[in-house]
Amino acid sequence: MTIDKIRPGGVIDPYLPVRARISRIIEENPRIRTLVLEPLEELPAANGARSTAGRSSAYQPGQFVMVSVPHCGEAPISLASSPHEPELRLSVLKVGLLTEALHRLPVGAEVGLRGPYGRPFPLADLHGRRLLFIAGGIGLAPLRSVLESCLAEPEKFGPLTLLYGSRTPADLAFGEDLARWQQSGRVDCRLTVDQGAPGWTGAVGLVTELLAELEPAPEQTSVLICGPPPMIRAVCRQTAATGIAPEQIITTLERQMKCGLGLCRHCHLDHHLVCVDGPVYTLAQLQQLEIMELG
Amino acid sequence: MSDQYLLSRDHLAPLLRRLAKEYRLVAPVRNDHGDTMFQEIANPVATVPDLESQPQNSLKDFLFPQQEHLYDYRLDDAGGYHFQPPATTTPPTLFFGVRPCDLNAVLYLDVVFLPGRRELSYRRRRENSLLIGLNCNQPFADCFCAAVNAGPFLEEGSDLQLTDLGRDFLVEVGRAGGAEIIRRWPHFFRSAPAEERNRRFQLYLEARGGFSRQVHADQAIKRLAADTLPSGVWEELATRCQDCNGCAYLCPTCTCFTIVDQPQDQHHGRRLRLWDACTATGFTAMAGGHNPVQPGKDKLRQRFRHKLELDVKKHGRPSCMGCGRCVGACFGGADILHFINLAGR
Repeated sequence: MTIDKIRPGGVIDPYLPVRARISRIIEENPRIRTLVLEPLEELPAANGARSTAGRSSAYQPGQFVMVSVPHCGEAPISLASSPHEPELRLSVLKVGLLTEALHRLPVGAEVGLRGPYGRPFPLADLHGRRLLFIAGGIGLAPLRSVLESCLAEPEKFGPLTLLYGSRTPADLAFGEDLARWQQSGRVDCRLTVDQGAPGWTGAVGLVTELLAELEPAPEQTSVLICGPPPMIRAVCRQTAATGIAPEQIITTLERQMKCGLGLCRHCHLDHHLVCVDGPVYTLAQLQQLEIMELG
Repeated sequence: MSDQYLLSRDHLAPLLRRLAKEYRLVAPVRNDHGDTMFQEIANPVATVPDLESQPQNSLKDFLFPQQEHLYDYRLDDAGGYHFQPPATTTPPTLFFGVRPCDLNAVLYLDVVFLPGRRELSYRRRRENSLLIGLNCNQPFADCFCAAVNAGPFLEEGSDLQLTDLGRDFLVEVGRAGGAEIIRRWPHFFRSAPAEERNRRFQLYLEARGGFSRQVHADQAIKRLAADTLPSGVWEELATRCQDCNGCAYLCPTCTCFTIVDQPQDQHHGRRLRLWDACTATGFTAMAGGHNPVQPGKDKLRQRFRHKLELDVKKHGRPSCMGCGRCVGACFGGADILHFINLAGR
């Protein structure tokens, strides 16, 4: 009988989380908070190789990590930070037991991370193009990662426009980022809320109404979308109608996931597993799949 | 399989006693309740394998157990959150009396779990296992392995493959572990004359004719691939399914799982991996309520598409091995045979 450790020969165990400490918390709104994380160990990548968390080579915009929260298990959460930033960021909507627990953790507490997983946004394919970001609510988190990457290498990308919708003015999240992007003069940020409130002077209506005011040049524009499924559906339809090719309309999907490795099958989508074949898809790819978001 | 030997039926028990000194022996055993299960035989003198019945469980229970203790976790007072894998023992295990469907199922699990270093515990157990197969001279009542090319005889994949010739077993040597057994314990085996090898083929032909069910899996596979199923199939199956998940748990190739934390006290807990089933309500539902699968209509769709369409596309063969366990277990009439029959309507 032999006794072996679970990691014989120094092989990385793909399910083993690494520790990460919460170094700062940004309360984005009553339901969304951003955790700024400092990994205490190297992140094992999906292929078992070691990558270095928090450094630019470690992950790409659009990828996600499996986040462990004490006594709550794990959930897949998009990385909201850009690989060009020194720190890891997770922006979390309070929506279930695990995310509610994440909202109770103080600065200094630790979470577990494994990843990064999934196919990222195809940034190299977007070089030289006008980028139109369309986000609703927490959906800005993965797009923030792309936006910050574009801002870090401005010479590689055309003009950046962001349409961001929230339910009410109080629900507007990522205020720090929005202010900074607006002040930079490099992102045309346009905000809207579903329901106005006293003091709100901005647009009221769905993000699709903001989109209708734009006249994107269909040949030169790529669209990046993230938000609730009805928003993805409406925005895909509307941007495609402006003549933008379905290959240039890109979104990222949310699914239940337990492994991130293409094994547990909770994220099955037609013949795909979103954790390894997605979560980032072009509209052209989604049109080949039977998918709830396109209803 | 190349080299062929004869093992006298009288020598089987002594051989197993000898092998049990080197390996943990797992074989079909009839228990006190009258059920035959694959289980560990601690004392091969007292316990004789039951080679006449189909075990209710499969080798999945041993290679990819229903509950796997992944980690212990610990929280310290400074907010630290530590994971520690449990110390594990992996005894070399000899699985004896494995029918072709179950052996093909292990080969499928290999395809799922071995590539890409995604799965350490399966690899560890598999690398420490030997498989001695037993061809089926007489298919069991619910079997349809021939319809999915998984039996009733096995052509490759085991270490040793046995065929019951009556007074003797024909022993075919497959993978390296089998040759090692012959090399180490040669006195149990004698060379097989040509007529005994020919009897194997005769028995194979008889077994192929011995199925009590006519199952047109090919037609279901073709209609799934061409998207030409008769209308209403999924709805009927969804209505019949009673959400017990028994089919997935008994299935030797179902590998869906979940990972959960089990708190022990305020500062300690365990992370477990448990079998799950794509048919389970909530399998795809997300926190917040979105569910990309319509459970009322599509809850069995992924199950049968995965086995008979997606795996055919990906691996070149269906991942249903025709063992028939789900047929015997399903009380709602939503098993894979029912699907195959509906698909051929």
